[in-house]
Amino acid sequence: MKVGFLLGGGLICAGLLLQVILGPVNWYWLAWPVNLAVLFLLLAAVGAVYALRGKVYAFEWMMHAGAAVPCLVYAASLTMLMGLLPQVREGGMPWLSQMLSFWPFVLIWTWMMFVSALAALNHLLRWKWKEIPFILNHLGVVIAIVAATLGNADVQSLELTAFTGEPEWRAVDEMGRVHEPGLAIELHKFTMEEYPNHMPKRFASDISVYTEDGKTLRGTVEVNKPLKVNGWKIYQYSYDVKKGPESAYSVLQLVKDPWIAWVYLGIYMMLAGALCLMLFMAPKPVKV
Amino acid sequence: MSWDSFVWFALGAVLLWAAGAFFAWKGRKTLVYVCTLAGIAVFFAFILGMWISLERPPLRTMGETRLWYSFFLPVAGILVYSRWRYKWILSFSTVLSFVFICVNLFKPEIHSKNLMPALQSPWFAPHVIVYMFSYALLGAATLMAIWMLVRKDKTTEKEINLTDNLVYVGQAFLTFGMLFGALWAKEAWGTYWAWDPKETWAAATWLCYLVYLHFRKAKPAEWQVSCIILLVSFVCLQICWWGINYLPSAQQGLSVHTY
Repeated sequence: MKVGFLLGGGLICAGLLLQVILGPVNWYWLAWPVNLAVLFLLLAAVGAVYALRGKVYAFEWMMHAGAAVPCLVYAASLTMLMGLLPQVREGGMPWLSQMLSFWPFVLIWTWMMFVSALAALNHLLRWKWKEIPFILNHLGVVIAIVAATLGNADVQSLELTAFTGEPEWRAVDEMGRVHEPGLAIELHKFTMEEYPNHMPKRFASDISVYTEDGKTLRGTVEVNKPLKVNGWKIYQYSYDVKKGPESAYSVLQLVKDPWIAWVYLGIYMMLAGALCLMLFMAPKPVKV
Repeated sequence: MSWDSFVWFALGAVLLWAAGAFFAWKGRKTLVYVCTLAGIAVFFAFILGMWISLERPPLRTMGETRLWYSFFLPVAGILVYSRWRYKWILSFSTVLSFVFICVNLFKPEIHSKNLMPALQSPWFAPHVIVYMFSYALLGAATLMAIWMLVRKDKTTEKEINLTDNLVYVGQAFLTFGMLFGALWAKEAWGTYWAWDPKETWAAATWLCYLVYLHFRKAKPAEWQVSCIILLVSFVCLQICWWGINYLPSAQQGLSVHTY
């Protein structure tokens, strides 16, 4: 386990070095198809380490619970540090205020995923029914986090402001750049209910969506009830806050995430794994 | 059905649950199940009545959420009992449920509190309820850890085993809470994870308890170190639960979880 802590320390140093040389992690580099290449590289590395487990003692060691402890300790510590320091897009403390782009943080989390994937593979290839809980937990977390991380650069998130009776096909991204998502949205009616103190209670947009391939879909979008069209999810985002119920427009958010199915798969595996954790993995009660 | 009749249903249910908890200590299994399940049925009858008269599931207000919390505690309690036969679990769930029933009885003005649209989701109650249940179990595990550290060599195998079980079930519920939150966030905001300060601390807490589980596997003999890991994890959990409101990272309205 001491070796594991040394390895983690080494990764932190390597990360600091990368941070100095390359600057913060630029997640946009990972946009398709680079993320696919990185995925194959990671899978190949996991496979190689597994194949060489008999020859290299360190690789054999990496598959045991003891190897998970140091990477979890490092990951938990850096995550706590991230929780302590305000995270801002720019400025703040050097490096630590943009923890998600901090190389040591990224390397430690990658190491953790690597160890978990290796353990999952090890149990997968020594298949027995009773290994299912272990595989669900270790593979589930890897699928969810790797898909979320690699897919992040491919997520499109746009804001579209729809005025009553005027189909709108342009939307802007976070940077204010204009995009054409391939569908037009027409607002028929924006409805809003307020509490007696004028706090918003419910707001919704009755809209029609016209897609490039000629489909027309009418529906209501409200908070917590998005609409799904051609791979896009349309969310009720905002409205004319000054006018409230009289708002003449509705701001909708359009999100497309090509990797979402994998993230969901990982999440469902983790949910099943958590159920197994308490039903099958917990140690048997000791009888007095 | 309205909140006016709540006191009678609550009284009936709590008395039945208390009877169930009492029989658990006495080892009378059949009576445990009969009383606890009867209490659950009485309590659920009230929820059902509210559901019908409100013409919507009672999930919207804080008071209604507490209603489900009070309901699920004995449900979880009897599930845990049926598997592990812990004598104390039903007493624990009954007392906790009673506390939340009392909050509903003595703080009725909260019942009509406004709920912002994002919170009006079917995920709201399960997200909060499983987290609360997990916090309760992990709290019990922390008490066990302190007890074991104080008693040192007098610690028995059974105490260590009990602590392990509390953490396994607590961690499972922690996972449920976190992932329900992710699934809900995807429906409400279009993104399942945003590294909001509360989420960051939830992740840190989740990792801390994973350290415990893996350390126990790797070094079963060093249970005193595991106890210390549990104490650190619980501090992390407290920061996640309420301590976060006092941290600079969650100020400036950066968190959707400030309340």
